[in-house]
Amino acid sequence: MGFSFDYLLQGLLIALTWQNLLWAALGCFIGTLVGVLPGIGPVSGIAILLPLTTVLPPTSAIIMMAAIYYGAMYGGSTTAIVVNIPGEASSVPTAIEGYELAKQGKAGPALAIAAIASFVAGTLSVIALTFFAPTLAQFAVLFGPSEYFALMFMGLSLVISLSGRALLKGIISMALGLTAGLIGQDPLTGAERLTFGSVTLTVGVDFIAIIVGLFAISEVMINVEQRLTTISKMEVKSWMPTWADIKSCIGAMLRSSTVGFLLGLLPGCAPSVTSFVAYDLEKRASKHPERFGHGAMDGLAATEGSNNATSTAGFVPLFSFGLPTAPSMAVLLGGLMMYGLQPGPMLFVQSPDFVWAVIASMYIGNVMLLVLNLPMIGVWVRIVRIPFYILGPLIVFCALVGTYSVRFQTFDIWIMLIFGVVGYFMRKLGFPIAPMVLASVLAQMLETSLGQSLLISQGSVLIFFDRPISAIFMALAFLSIGRGVWAQIKAKAPEVVTDDAEY
Amino acid sequence: MKTQRVADIVVGCLVALFGILIIWASTLITSGTPHKLPPETFPMVVGILLLICGSALALKSWSIREADLAIKWPDREGVRTILVVLASIAGYIALLGRLGLPLASFLYLAFSIWYLKRSGWLPAIVISVITAAISYFLFIRLLALSFPAGPFLE
Repeated sequence: MGFSFDYLLQGLLIALTWQNLLWAALGCFIGTLVGVLPGIGPVSGIAILLPLTTVLPPTSAIIMMAAIYYGAMYGGSTTAIVVNIPGEASSVPTAIEGYELAKQGKAGPALAIAAIASFVAGTLSVIALTFFAPTLAQFAVLFGPSEYFALMFMGLSLVISLSGRALLKGIISMALGLTAGLIGQDPLTGAERLTFGSVTLTVGVDFIAIIVGLFAISEVMINVEQRLTTISKMEVKSWMPTWADIKSCIGAMLRSSTVGFLLGLLPGCAPSVTSFVAYDLEKRASKHPERFGHGAMDGLAATEGSNNATSTAGFVPLFSFGLPTAPSMAVLLGGLMMYGLQPGPMLFVQSPDFVWAVIASMYIGNVMLLVLNLPMIGVWVRIVRIPFYILGPLIVFCALVGTYSVRFQTFDIWIMLIFGVVGYFMRKLGFPIAPMVLASVLAQMLETSLGQSLLISQGSVLIFFDRPISAIFMALAFLSIGRGVWAQIKAKAPEVVTDDAEY
Repeated sequence: MKTQRVADIVVGCLVALFGILIIWASTLITSGTPHKLPPETFPMVVGILLLICGSALALKSWSIREADLAIKWPDREGVRTILVVLASIAGYIALLGRLGLPLASFLYLAFSIWYLKRSGWLPAIVISVITAAISYFLFIRLLALSFPAGPFLE
């Protein structure tokens, strides 16, 4: 089933019902809030709220979750520009240029350009998603268990090899995530594993508890340690950018949308990676590269554009193959599974109403974000001033409520706390978090597809190499691992991780 | 563990030990029905991976002495604050079942806001009362989620 305007129109009609419009608007609002507030990012935001959306129908819930995600990607720019605190690694160039502009009294126009660039890139990427996802899904119909295993294996190897010069730490992080995912009953035989005789552990460790702990609780610990009392004194009087500002950024917006989207299709290519690539590319393409670092509006537009394009591109592998490319996508995958929806090629065949409504809602969501954010710039700037002594405990409260409401077990919130401490030490000791999150979500799928493949092949691992699609994925996986190992041997340097704290 | 190198050696060894624990735990798994991928295989592979990578990390960090980085650990005050924050979250979780969501949230928020602000009870009380009330009316009454309401609100 490929792209069809009829399906898109049908999806648009569903997305335009007042209930879905309301949930999309609420998602955009909460997402921007999550992005604006220091100490809570898109992954924790979605993970905390996901269990609470079980009262909604699946389409409305995922529309809201998606809106929270792209809303949060936008919201991060406010703290970067106004208080020079990049909430996520992807907002670092935004902070560099935006804060300089703010110091020159152009905070309002900088925030407006960030919103416009996010809107342009977001919309262009949704258009690309509309055509890309169903086309790739047609291709994905050819996939059997061996192809899925090879694809997930490649995804994990890319995420690890892209986590900076920390190959060993990346593999350890992934292996720890797999261990957590394997606790409980074996999906194929029902045997109890790694439970050490504990009855509580037989139900397994819930991935929401792991993610909320790794991101929200550890972030609170980091902020408490730094005694973060973010209070911005900056006033934003006018937000209207000049026509010259907008005109100078059009090229940057278009270039960054393309770069952000194409790179965002790859597992591991998080906004934190693509925003730096887009920023660097814009510096090279700019007629005034000397302005970069001193308040370049086009540099800001490029970063924010690529940021949003990458976030949207992540939905392509998620919808077409069921492959999450980043922790936030892993949470959304978990959300889809919670609703009994299996992402992948059959999603377009079995639940076209759902998938097209979500895609259509993204067009509406991008407009909503622009409408919501431009006039509300002053409000968001005031929200940045909420001191952390109030915010921190409230984040813990939300994290506890979100984690507990998945299975209503106190055990899950203890796991959340434990992984909060684990996440804190991982950040301090330079271990990438993304491989752990992806592995904990993918562990069972990975094992099930491996088991099914071996069943088909009568136990021969050659099945992964004699079928062309899985052979290509396996080759790419080994290439990426080989490249990582080679870089390790060549560099002879300590394991250094790139900042992937949240995306 | 003041520097990255020492930390990597220590963590590498701990990961390798954890790998041995997982390998040992996988030998305890009883297969039940025969399968091409027995239930102990995957945990065993993961355990071996942890053992190899943990040992490799420790060895590699031990062999590289140049370009060592200092880890930014918190000062004494920072450590104390983190421990109090963690203890208060643990207390919150422990009290959740006994006192219910609204009351446990009230106590946790009032204490945490007061402790992190280090002055004045009033904002802590106001915010915690509002949040506790929201938690009761939104999650327990309106959404009817299975949160413990506590002895006074059951």
